Amino acid sequence: MFMLERRMDISRKASSLFVLLSLLLAFFVTGLIFHLLGVDVAQFYSTICNVFITPALLLQAVFRSIPIILASLGLVVAFRMGFWNIGAEGQIYLGMIAATGIVILHVSYGAIPASLMLVAMGVASFLAGGAWCLIPASLKVRLGVNEVLTTLMLNYIAMLFTDYLVYGPWRDPEGWGFALSIPFPEYATLKYCGNPSTVGIVISVAVAGFVYFLFKYTKLGFTLSVLGKSSDVAKYAGMQAGRATLLGSIISGGMAGLGGLYVVSGMMGRLRPRASPGYGYTAIIVAMLVQLNPWLILPAGVFFGGLLTAGDALQSSLRLPFSAITVFQSVIFLCIILAEFFRRYRVVLRRL
Amino acid sequence: MSVTPLVELRGIVKRFPNVVANDRVDFSLMPGEVHALLGENAAGKTTLMNILYGLYQPDEGEIYVKGKRVRIRSPADSIRLGIGMVHQSFRLIPVHTVWENVVLGLKEAGFVLNRKKLTDMVKKFCEEYGWNIDPNARVWQLSVGEKQQVELLKLLVRRAEVLILDEPTSVLTPQETKGLFKAIRTMAKSGKGIIFITHKLEEALEVSDRVTVMRKGRVVATKPTGEVTAEELANLMIGRPVLFKIEKPEVKKGGIVLEAKGLKVMGDRGVLALDGVNLCAHSGEIVGIAGIAGNGQEELMEALAGLRRVEAGKVFIDGEDVTNKGAGYLIGKGVSYIPPESTRWAIVRDMRLVENIALKFYRSRDFSGMLRIDWHKLFEFSRKLIDEYGIAAHSPSTLAGTLSGGNLQRVVLARELSATQDGKVPRLILAAYPTKGLDVAATEFVHSLLLKHRSMGSAIVFLSEDLEEIMMLSDRIVVISKGKVVGEFLSKEKTVEEVGMMMLKGSAA
Repeated sequence: MFMLERRMDISRKASSLFVLLSLLLAFFVTGLIFHLLGVDVAQFYSTICNVFITPALLLQAVFRSIPIILASLGLVVAFRMGFWNIGAEGQIYLGMIAATGIVILHVSYGAIPASLMLVAMGVASFLAGGAWCLIPASLKVRLGVNEVLTTLMLNYIAMLFTDYLVYGPWRDPEGWGFALSIPFPEYATLKYCGNPSTVGIVISVAVAGFVYFLFKYTKLGFTLSVLGKSSDVAKYAGMQAGRATLLGSIISGGMAGLGGLYVVSGMMGRLRPRASPGYGYTAIIVAMLVQLNPWLILPAGVFFGGLLTAGDALQSSLRLPFSAITVFQSVIFLCIILAEFFRRYRVVLRRL
Repeated sequence: MSVTPLVELRGIVKRFPNVVANDRVDFSLMPGEVHALLGENAAGKTTLMNILYGLYQPDEGEIYVKGKRVRIRSPADSIRLGIGMVHQSFRLIPVHTVWENVVLGLKEAGFVLNRKKLTDMVKKFCEEYGWNIDPNARVWQLSVGEKQQVELLKLLVRRAEVLILDEPTSVLTPQETKGLFKAIRTMAKSGKGIIFITHKLEEALEVSDRVTVMRKGRVVATKPTGEVTAEELANLMIGRPVLFKIEKPEVKKGGIVLEAKGLKVMGDRGVLALDGVNLCAHSGEIVGIAGIAGNGQEELMEALAGLRRVEAGKVFIDGEDVTNKGAGYLIGKGVSYIPPESTRWAIVRDMRLVENIALKFYRSRDFSGMLRIDWHKLFEFSRKLIDEYGIAAHSPSTLAGTLSGGNLQRVVLARELSATQDGKVPRLILAAYPTKGLDVAATEFVHSLLLKHRSMGSAIVFLSEDLEEIMMLSDRIVVISKGKVVGEFLSKEKTVEEVGMMMLKGSAA
């Protein structure tokens, strides 16, 4: 009879190997699915590969990966402290709302000097994303409410609230009735600081460095890791688990909020409904894929940004709907979960 | 002519990571017999019965039911073989009626339920055992004792011939206990076999025909109840004298370090675990807490370490009121705590040794600034501790989870006993079962460490399952029973037997 046995020790090498195998499996399974659907699999994969070898497309991939990377880095903080934040998507929307709010305050009321706009927008979107994550965190700390449910549900609230704003009070009066906010003035877009891709890369590397430093060297980071690995031990060691959870959740949501800032201020130059094609959900896959390593988030994020770019290409070359890429992403996620399972358990044949 | 046993277990071995829960256990149950399975917590009683009930698979050994070798893969298998179990926590659906709970999952009930027939059947069984439950009552309306009767009904309706009762009296009032015992005797008279798991000696003597005593995963004796005395059973349960001697230097007792007054603390199940406990410990003194497991001593340690809320009463450390100030604050005051099951409470298995050692040092000004932790310094410090405490690991970056239980205990000791803050010796050391599961050499090492700290002026409060160890190591002994202090004396004033009786009877002998 086959039985499952818990692995006692898991080496780092073995677990990286499992992740690589899971990726290969994902390629294979996706290929099989599309083959059965009558899609030319060779062309499917060559279109995807093409993104990563064509400089212009690669640049596009990097550009689209920035919100994923920022949200994913936030998730590293949350997941490492054992807070299962599924709400990066909503936190991204809050970041967009806050950034747009600052622009509207400035344009309509002249509240903030132009030179300080980007700083104010950065602070506001970080705090808004953080606050959005703080809600489920305090519900968890105070009342023991499961954060998986609350963070997930807050996503829809955030997304629909964005809809309300752009269809309602924030609709551009000169926008021909389209559901769009006013366009951001140039000094409120990242173009003001340089090429948006370059700015995005600099911010991503800086934030990755921050997460790395947080967990490697700081007291807060150590507290969060212990909390994530064993809340019993954290309590025993006299750590203030509640306070650390709240602080960590602000940091986590705040980074997703910065991702939202990048979407409106770096990519679109205004707020639109459904501005995120699920960056926050892709961020979960990225964080899990690299097993919460902040540096590896960067290449993994670019990979998924590339898949989004490939999605556009597939629509024209193979006439596949964009959801083909969603299928691929989902298969990758399932394979990662499978790898996680085999990383923890060993299948043994046992004679009874 | 010999009667075939209803159930026979031969050479059962069950291993869990780092512990052998059942070590070549033999056990049998005859028809019409009440067989008490006696032992302290974690002696392996429940594991053995979970194997018989199909919840665990044994690693070795054989199970026979009515002389036939069987393999029990799940509770469904065991029910088919006529084995039923009543767990400590009931498995009933509160909003359903008694008869609905009883017939739930019963094949004989058929697809369309004949309510009249089924309630009559439940009534018939109730009459037989003198129970007074209305089959149409909702389970949430019943008392605890009645709920237990519903659990028994479930087994009776399924014609179970072997009934396993796991600590059935722990939730009952004395009157309900009496009623239960009567029902147990009635069942035995009708030829059923009953396995009665308990750690209460008097109950085993009162209700059983035969007693099996387990200790640390092994059967230490199986005897007809008529042939044993309470004292014999107590010695078997708690264990025989250890064969090593402790050199205890004279130490002059210093001032009071710990003082607890009228402590009231809740247990995990929401009942009072400590009911007005007074305790003090002086500098240079070892205070041993003696008691049968589950009488409040673990809750006492947690309350003193700031990990369990104090409902009433006060705790003072060096004269300062620290009641409910929390574990972090107490660590800062120099309180060390070696918890039971240290691998769960005090060690993060998938972190490195240096991080495990850092758990209580990383906030100290010696090892960190405002923000940053000085891992370099902690590495050096860990390396020193690994040497000093003989931890079998080649580097501080070894993953804790790869070490053995004994080595992890050394890691905990190293962290808890070294200078906590700013080079000072711990003021108060709370040690819960610090030698549990250790071999003789490691045990002696722990003893010498505790004595060394006693000489250096720490106050030490410790728990042990081994009464002999408490008697040898302590200067003063406090006996706890049912959450109350029932005796306090200097260790030389009493014998092991006297203290043992005090623990069991819950009053000064």
